[in-house]
Amino acid sequence: MNRWWLRPLVRSAAALVLPVAVPFLCVLLLWALPGDPASIICPPETCSGTEELARRWNLDQGPTHYFLSWAGGVAQGEWGNSWRLMTGMGVRGLVEESVPNTLILLGLALIPVLVGSLLAALEVVGEKVDPALQLIGAVPGILLALIAAAWQTLTFGLDGEPTAGLLLGAAVLGLSDGVFSGAVIGTRSLFGGERRQRYVGVALLRGERIIENTLPNVAPAFIGQLRARTIQLLSGAVVIEVVLRIDGIGDLLWQATLVQDFGLVMPLVTAFSLISSALLLLQAVAEVGVALHVRRSPKLPGGAA
Amino acid sequence: MNRRLPAAVALVLMLALAALVALAPEHLSPIAQERAAAGPAALPPFGADGRGRPLLEYAAQGASVVALPALVAGLVVAAASIFGGVVRAMGLERLDPVISAASEVVGALPRMVVILVVALVLPREWRGLMPLALTWALLSAPGAMDEAAAVAERLGGARFVEALRAHGYSGARIFLVHIVGYNLRPVLVRQGAEVMSQVVFLEIGLSYLAASRQDPSFTHPDSLMSWADILYLGYTALAFREPYDHAAILGLGLLLLVSGFASAIGRAARAR
Repeated sequence: MNRWWLRPLVRSAAALVLPVAVPFLCVLLLWALPGDPASIICPPETCSGTEELARRWNLDQGPTHYFLSWAGGVAQGEWGNSWRLMTGMGVRGLVEESVPNTLILLGLALIPVLVGSLLAALEVVGEKVDPALQLIGAVPGILLALIAAAWQTLTFGLDGEPTAGLLLGAAVLGLSDGVFSGAVIGTRSLFGGERRQRYVGVALLRGERIIENTLPNVAPAFIGQLRARTIQLLSGAVVIEVVLRIDGIGDLLWQATLVQDFGLVMPLVTAFSLISSALLLLQAVAEVGVALHVRRSPKLPGGAA
Repeated sequence: MNRRLPAAVALVLMLALAALVALAPEHLSPIAQERAAAGPAALPPFGADGRGRPLLEYAAQGASVVALPALVAGLVVAAASIFGGVVRAMGLERLDPVISAASEVVGALPRMVVILVVALVLPREWRGLMPLALTWALLSAPGAMDEAAAVAERLGGARFVEALRAHGYSGARIFLVHIVGYNLRPVLVRQGAEVMSQVVFLEIGLSYLAASRQDPSFTHPDSLMSWADILYLGYTALAFREPYDHAAILGLGLLLLVSGFASAIGRAARAR
C-alpha cells in the first residue's frame, strides 16, 4: 500500500472534472441524437420559429460553441434564462432558492441513516431486527411518499405545510428503498468483519479498546458506504420533492424536464454534480486523514509498544 | 436452506405477471358510467375506475408497459455481472482500473438525475420506457460487476481456473458451469431481479409524477394506462376520501407482486 494517495487523488480529480464533464456530456448527448437540437426541443411541425430560437439559444453553431458560451456565462455569474418553464426568468435565482430546501431535506434524511449506522457499529442493533429492517427497506419510496402525501393533504389541506413536508419527505427518503436498512446492515457487517480479525484479539489482550483499533481500518470503506447512501438519497429526493411538493432542485429538474427546458436543466444538473463533487472531495479528505493517522502510528495506551 | 419454496413462489408470481401481460387490451373498454367506481364485488376481479372501466385492464396494460423493458434491463445487468466475474476469473487485471473508474464515475451521479436528462434529450418519437430502462441498467451494471468480481476473487480468481484446467475440464465447462452456473448465479440472478423491480418502480414513479400533474408520461403512450394510474386513484381514496379503496389495495398488491418476485427469485438462486 505504498500508493495510498492514489485513490484520494483519483477521487479529487473526479470531483474537479464532474461539474464540467456532466453538463458537457448532456450537450454532446443532445447533439448526438438524430436531428438538430433546436428541432428536437422545438419540433418545426408543432413549434414555429425553430431557426430563430436556435439562434437565440446558441444552438446554431455546434455543441462546443454552445457549451463554451454557457460555461463562460456561468463563470461570470450569468446562468442564463429559463427557456420554457418560466420563459425569460433568470435561472440563477431559481436554483439559489431551491438548493437550500434540497440540502435541508438531505440533511434531515441523513439523521436516521447516521444514527442507525452508529448503533450498528456499536452492535446495539443486532441481527434479530434484520428481517424487519429488510421489510421496511423493500418498500418503494414512491409508495411511502404517496401515503405521506395523502396524510399531508388530509392534515394540512391541498397546499400542505412546508415544514411538515420537509420532515415527512426526510422520513420517507431515509427509510424507503433500502437506505436505512442498507446502512444498518452494511455498517454492522463492515465493523463485525473487522472485529473478527486476529489483530483485534491481540489488541484486546493488550488491554486496548476495540474501536480504536478497528475504526482507522474500516473508516475508508465506511465513508464510501456513507457517500453511496447520500447519492442514493439525492437520487430519491427528486421523486420525494415532486410528490410532497417540496420546492427543491429535484422538483425544479422534474418540471424543467417535462417541458424540455434545457436552459434550466443545465444549471440544475451542474448543481447536482457540484453536490456529488463535494461528497467525493469529502471522501478523499477523510481517506487522506485516515491514512496519515495510521502512518503516524498513534501512541498506544499504557505505553504498549 | 430449502430453495424450492422461493422458486415455486417466484414461478407463481411470474406466471401472474405473464397472465396480466397476455390479458392487456390495446384500448380500454368504453366508458360505462353505470359502473363508475364499482368495487370488486360489482365488477370482478378488481373493480372499476371513475368511468366504469375495469381496473383489470389498467393492471394488464401497466404490466405490458413494464414487462419487456424490465426483462431487458435485468438481462443487461446479469450479462454485466457475468462479464465482471469472468474478467476477474481470467486474471485480466488490466481491466480492473477501467471497471473501477467506470464504477466511480457512474456511482457519483444520482441515477434519477441521469434518467431525467436522458428523458429530456430523447426525441418525442423515441420516448418510452426501454431507453430509460437501459440507462438504469447501465448505471446499475458497475455495481453488479464489482460484486461478481468479488465473488470470483473469493473463489481464487485465475488460480481456480488453472486448477480446473489441471483436472482436464474444458474452457466452456469451467466458465459456463463452474464459474457462471455454480458461483456467479446467485449474484447475477439477484442483481438482475433487483434491477427488474427497480425498473418497474421507476416506471411507476415517473408515470405517477406525470399523472399527478396531468402531464403526459415519458414511459408510455397516452393511450395506455400504467400501474401509476391505479396508485393515483388509490391516492385520491386516501387523501380525498374518493371511492377508490379497491384501487389502493390493487396498487399495493401489484407492488408486492413485483417486490415478492424479485425477492423470491433471488432466494431461489442462492448458493447452497
